[in-house]
Amino acid sequence: MTTLATTTRRVVAAGLVAVAFAAEPAHAQSLFNAAGLGTPVEALDGRARAMGSVGIGLPGRSIMPTDPGGLARLGISTGVMAASPSWVDYSAAGDRSGSFQGNRFPLMGIGYPVLGGMASIQIGSFLDQTYEVTRVGETDLGDGPVRTSDAFVQDGAVSNVNLGFARALGERYTAGLTIGRYAGSLDRTLERTYGDETDAANVDTYIESGVWSWTGWSLTAGGSADFENLRVAASVQIPTDLTGTASAETRGSDERFSLPTQYRVGATASVGPSVLVHGSAVLSDWSDTQGQLNTGFAGSGSGFGVGVELSRARLLGKDAPLRFGFRRVGLPFAFEDESVTERTFSGGFGLVLNETAGIVLAGVDLSLERGLRSSATLTENFWRATLSLLTSGF
Amino acid sequence: MSVLGEHRRGTAIAALGLVAVFGAGCEEQTPVSLDDQALPGSPITITVEIPWSEFASNLEVFGGYGSAEEIGQGVLAEDFAGTLDARTLMRIGSYPRVATVQDTTGASRPDSTLTFLGGRFVAFFDTIESTNTAPVTLALGAMTEEWDQTTASWDFAVDTINDQRPWTEVGGGPVTAIAQAIWDPAAGDTAVFVLDSAQVAAWADTTDLSVGARIEILDAGERLTLTRGVVRLDARPSSNPDTIIELSAVARGSTFIYSPFPQPPPDGVRIGGAPSWRTILDLDVPAIIDGIPEFCAVVACPHTLTPGEISYAALVLTSRTTEAAFQPTDSIRLDVRPVLNRSAMPKSPLGASLIASLFGRSVAPEAFGSAPGLEIEIPFTGFARDRLRGTDAAGNPTPETLALLSVIEPFSITFASFEGPQSAAEPYLRLVLTIGPPVELP
Repeated sequence: MTTLATTTRRVVAAGLVAVAFAAEPAHAQSLFNAAGLGTPVEALDGRARAMGSVGIGLPGRSIMPTDPGGLARLGISTGVMAASPSWVDYSAAGDRSGSFQGNRFPLMGIGYPVLGGMASIQIGSFLDQTYEVTRVGETDLGDGPVRTSDAFVQDGAVSNVNLGFARALGERYTAGLTIGRYAGSLDRTLERTYGDETDAANVDTYIESGVWSWTGWSLTAGGSADFENLRVAASVQIPTDLTGTASAETRGSDERFSLPTQYRVGATASVGPSVLVHGSAVLSDWSDTQGQLNTGFAGSGSGFGVGVELSRARLLGKDAPLRFGFRRVGLPFAFEDESVTERTFSGGFGLVLNETAGIVLAGVDLSLERGLRSSATLTENFWRATLSLLTSGF
Repeated sequence: MSVLGEHRRGTAIAALGLVAVFGAGCEEQTPVSLDDQALPGSPITITVEIPWSEFASNLEVFGGYGSAEEIGQGVLAEDFAGTLDARTLMRIGSYPRVATVQDTTGASRPDSTLTFLGGRFVAFFDTIESTNTAPVTLALGAMTEEWDQTTASWDFAVDTINDQRPWTEVGGGPVTAIAQAIWDPAAGDTAVFVLDSAQVAAWADTTDLSVGARIEILDAGERLTLTRGVVRLDARPSSNPDTIIELSAVARGSTFIYSPFPQPPPDGVRIGGAPSWRTILDLDVPAIIDGIPEFCAVVACPHTLTPGEISYAALVLTSRTTEAAFQPTDSIRLDVRPVLNRSAMPKSPLGASLIASLFGRSVAPEAFGSAPGLEIEIPFTGFARDRLRGTDAAGNPTPETLALLSVIEPFSITFASFEGPQSAAEPYLRLVLTIGPPVELP
């Protein structure tokens, strides 16, 4: 008991450290971050990514804020942490192309059994907003033209912290409720410099910046039902407005942005002794946000995903289910008035590291996605890996 | 225990995997947007010129900072530019008491019994700063009255608090003529005066406050810069009386006295000279910009200026011809410093230099002679921001007064002159303003 208590304290401590770590702004992974409020970052684990899921309706253990009902089936205390690096090649109009890479930590959560159900805390990404842009120009200071360089850097993200509770309703049904708090900040800085390196102009840099903190609430309700060889789940997330509050030193004003209600449904069927087929969809219409945007266009964030899991595969003598999937999801913000989608083909596997009496105490899930985001003027091809660690029984 | 142990090992392996993936993607590269629309509003850059009456007042010129002695150089002039007379006074240094010489056996050993037989006074000149191109005649005299190296002037031998003693004869008092010499700048940078043994003996007493050498130029119309003077001594050592050795005594101080002493300009700016001149002025960066057509054409007027909008601020001065006798022959280096307590002028302490360059703002000498009317910008952007804000970065009140001065005081007998207020080319404030809308959320 002493050892178990010690282990529990360590895991909780590690969880607290990880919470602090995840509170850092998500890092940028797309040029579309510069459109509107940024690019959505879904809080998904490696298994959901590999199976093309939008985060609901998967059997087995998962802690995802998009599936509050699924939490009730965890049974024992469980924690999850995910990392997701990506590598992006882009090409744009005007023969402009390049590449960049970044890393983010989209999901971390802990579920613990209390009051006959499962309580959870989850920290997840929501919107990635980091980008920079530079514009070179010329101005006349009275002694002839001088080169100007306007460098704009936007650094920040919207994250959300969720507290949830779910419990089983009989053998077949579960229900869950999650209250989420949007958090994070956005730092926008414009710097105009004069002259270049060889012509060290005597004119100081002009700096105009603003820092906003994000706040808002969301309520997510969901449930799931198990039938013979079939699980179905649904959830609805109802958010308040997202409020950006300017710091005292910021000249810019506070803003409120409408967030859409998001509906998710998902189902997984066992079509054979070791084959699972999964499908899920999300419906979210961001067009109401358009009226509050100063730049960019808002559209649909709806999409769907399908996937399959072959559960009998083994690796290194341990269970290592293989997974494949496809996903097509709209990006809610674009530079032009058009529909932009993200399409990915994915694959991956899970690896059980430790299992006792049929309970997986530790496992990892890895996915690798090859994706495409395209608009009329910009195309991004990317690789995205997601590795999640799931532990239980602490 | 075993289960938990395996659990921890499995967790450790997985954690290592996570670390590996983190590492693979940990090189963060912020995506660079390709779309200018992703930039918030574009700022406007505009240059405005604020006339004197709207930013400055109370211009005043103060003199007397430092003394000619501090320059470490002398000046000789005779009716230069029809006005200037200048002479250099030098304290002769103590003579060497011991010299290492070869005795009659050929061995080197120190000899402290030296007999000085005579010598030469060698004067070194700055061939660039000196105005003559032809040979000039110089005169060397031995001073006869007590004088104070720090306060001596054309009229006074001593001019300190409670002790003001005029020369019995202005210009360094009566002197005992020693020798004359001709300096030809084409032949070199030195002039040599011959000293007899009696003069050498007379200058050996360094406790006598009247001891000194006065060097003057006899030919009119030139101004010479004397860099240093050395006494070359011919000595006979007791250990080898058949040998004459040469020893040196370096002047242990010098100053120069000149007449007439320039009066403060009634309508202009003066910087430099020896003792030095400073010009001070009260400065107030206008908080509201209005009535400037080219500014109001692009920015809504009246515009309330903020410190962050000042990208560049400089005081623009227009050079004018300095009195011919004091026209610079080398570059003048200007400095600008805040005056910490104007009411204490001329003794107010000054703040740190506002000019980034350690050597100040350099101005060619022609700007004060053959090519006047040159606009000289003295930038002080940071100070202008603080002045507008009212406090500096540390929260201290920003001084309201600036001093224009030479980087090194004193540096030369010459000084810089600029047009003052109410002239056609009065000083003005040049501001480069960058004005942009506040950065808003997307």
